[in-house]
Amino acid sequence: MSSIAITINGQKVSTQPGQTILQAAQASGIDIPTLCHHPALAPIGACRVCLVEVTGQRTLQPACTFPVADRMEIQTESPKVVRARKFVLELLFSERNHFCMACEMSGGCELQNLGYRYGLDHWVYPTYTQRFPVDASPAHHLMDHNRCVLCRRCVRACGELVANHTLDLRQRGAHAMLCADMDVPLGDSSCVGCGTCVNVCPTGALIDKRSAFMARPDAVDRVETICTQCSLGCGLNVVMHRGHVLRLESSWNAPVNGGLLCRRGRFEALEDRRTRILEPLIKEKGRSVPASWTWALAETARRVFNEVPEQLGLLTSTRLTSEALGLLQTIFAKHLRSAQRGTADGQTPALPFTPCGKLADIAGSDLILLVAADPVQDQPVASFLIKRAVDQGARLVTVESRPTELSAFAEATFKPRDVGIAVELVMAAARPVVIYGGGLTKSGAKALQKVESKAKFIPLVPGVNTVTAAALGLNGRFDPAACSTLYIVAGEENGTLDDLAARINPTAFVIVQACYASPLTERADLVLPMATWLERSGSFTNTDGTQLRAHAALPPSGQSRPDWDILGRLAERLGLDAGPAKAELPRCGA
Amino acid sequence: MAKVLIATDWLAACAGCHMSLLDLDERLVELLNHVTFTSSPVTDLKHPPESGVTVGVLTGAISNTHNIEVARRMRARSTYLVAVGDCATFGGIVAARNLVGTPAALKRAYLETESTVDGLIPDSPELGMPLPTVTGVGDVVKVDIFLPGCPPRPEDFFYVFSEVLAGRLPLVLPSQHFRYD
Repeated sequence: MSSIAITINGQKVSTQPGQTILQAAQASGIDIPTLCHHPALAPIGACRVCLVEVTGQRTLQPACTFPVADRMEIQTESPKVVRARKFVLELLFSERNHFCMACEMSGGCELQNLGYRYGLDHWVYPTYTQRFPVDASPAHHLMDHNRCVLCRRCVRACGELVANHTLDLRQRGAHAMLCADMDVPLGDSSCVGCGTCVNVCPTGALIDKRSAFMARPDAVDRVETICTQCSLGCGLNVVMHRGHVLRLESSWNAPVNGGLLCRRGRFEALEDRRTRILEPLIKEKGRSVPASWTWALAETARRVFNEVPEQLGLLTSTRLTSEALGLLQTIFAKHLRSAQRGTADGQTPALPFTPCGKLADIAGSDLILLVAADPVQDQPVASFLIKRAVDQGARLVTVESRPTELSAFAEATFKPRDVGIAVELVMAAARPVVIYGGGLTKSGAKALQKVESKAKFIPLVPGVNTVTAAALGLNGRFDPAACSTLYIVAGEENGTLDDLAARINPTAFVIVQACYASPLTERADLVLPMATWLERSGSFTNTDGTQLRAHAALPPSGQSRPDWDILGRLAERLGLDAGPAKAELPRCGA
Repeated sequence: MAKVLIATDWLAACAGCHMSLLDLDERLVELLNHVTFTSSPVTDLKHPPESGVTVGVLTGAISNTHNIEVARRMRARSTYLVAVGDCATFGGIVAARNLVGTPAALKRAYLETESTVDGLIPDSPELGMPLPTVTGVGDVVKVDIFLPGCPPRPEDFFYVFSEVLAGRLPLVLPSQHFRYD
């Protein structure tokens, strides 16, 4: 496309037709203030803060929506523009309660920053005294209408990004108010509690309950890492103040999720109330007593080394780093030749299709076939991506034995025995995507093979690093009753391994590497304290094969250590090369 | 050179702004080489001299009729009037009353608090009458310089006084001295 030349504040700028003035200005480093605009959302020109002077135009125009044209001349800070912006801000401040000193967002509020930038040092209009309600009905966030400037960022985030369409505006003019569904409390609405609206709110109208008023937004630190709640590995920012985690925020450039997070990833991940294991524990006369790391590792090495391979069992969480899983393979598969190697996911069937498709492919597809998966429950952000594509006109077809929450969005749903009809629909589509879960049967996989070259296949596996565990051969058969020595990496698994303790041979020696106390650590003869997902760095390969990197936000609590650190030291004890093992991953088309 | 005269007074205020002014500490000594504080709520002389001052400083919001009187007197007697603090500029924490209304606020404060016995809303004619709406000083008199902050920091006071002494007016607060949070 040929570029066009425009002039901004006397500076020649080369840009593309179809761009907005704001995009052209940002690309050449010219700052135009905005309020309702958000890079992840479609611009609507609601707030009028970005008004600029365009030569030849009768009135000032919003830069966020006004398209550039050849030889256009633009002034972004002329006296006329500044006067208009100040007027807009004075009006915005005159509606509702915008007293900064008692606001959670003070120090990081976009409205406040604009007030400073344009020198609003007193009210020009009479103080507005109407009091608006505060809706604190959702579990994790609250909506304070008194702080709202009606920019509709939250409305657009809820609709455009999450495709949930819970939030909207009701009434007009000065009576306009944010509302959920047909004006019900947010907590009773169709809100899925993902908190994307909280993340995009420019003021203190939507705030996170847990971290509200705990630190000024300009005094926090951010560490970018990935979520390990499900297999997507969504990127997120850990927001911290003086070493304490305040909240989790969207990372808009994250490769998998592009800023989306679900309720579990954004809020519930910080709500773990289980008791941490903070030191190595050894069972003595039926009681767990603290032990030193040196002794605990020596005892672990002795026990696993002296066990015969047939009776040595390894069970691992699939939420471990690739580095740790690589070490488990080195120690237990290559060196000790343990016969029993399983994952907490259960014996996952081998994924029949090489992971060629990426989650990003969902957006451009015209037909999505969802087979034996329930992303609303298991990978919520994937369900947002699917609903978003449906909003854009993609057709959703599901093959499932029981209806899921996505069935309502499907054009057609088929029973597993009718998978053949669904495959016909895929054949007829232009850019089909097949998303399949662990429940895919052998016959289902066979039927889908017909479209293997046509469709992009995206598997939805259970754990964030299941793909690596499977590639390393750690997801095999595991029978706890058949083992007399067990090494169980429970990590942060919650509930999934609780019934395991009862199935272990009573005379077996059990070593558990875990973050939290559980029935399993009660049963264990030796417990090794492990650092949580916030306390360790490492690599992951998510469900669609994307390589991800996590960064520790906190130092490990107590004497706990990152998963790879514990296993590295164990490998050293066993006289093995403790260098970071690289997982051999299936490559697309290989 | 004759010293510049400064008078201060407070309206509906918590005294925090005056505390912040006193927190100038040793810089006050330097300042006093150039200015004379004629009157203030924290000195023996309370009222600005009838002969007038160069700089009048008001802290606090306009909450009752007495505040209006004090504000008008300071305006009449000063060349430059400085509204200091979030209350004097925006109404501040005092303006929280606007969200419930004056009658409800008086009832709560004088009749309904948990420790009140035989409560009575004061109605002496000697007292200022509470206004229906709390506002900043600018709603009642013309203000030359607004210095927001809760409270403004001592260096903000020092900056404003220095600029006025140097005659650099009208004053546009630079960002490091402009905070209302």
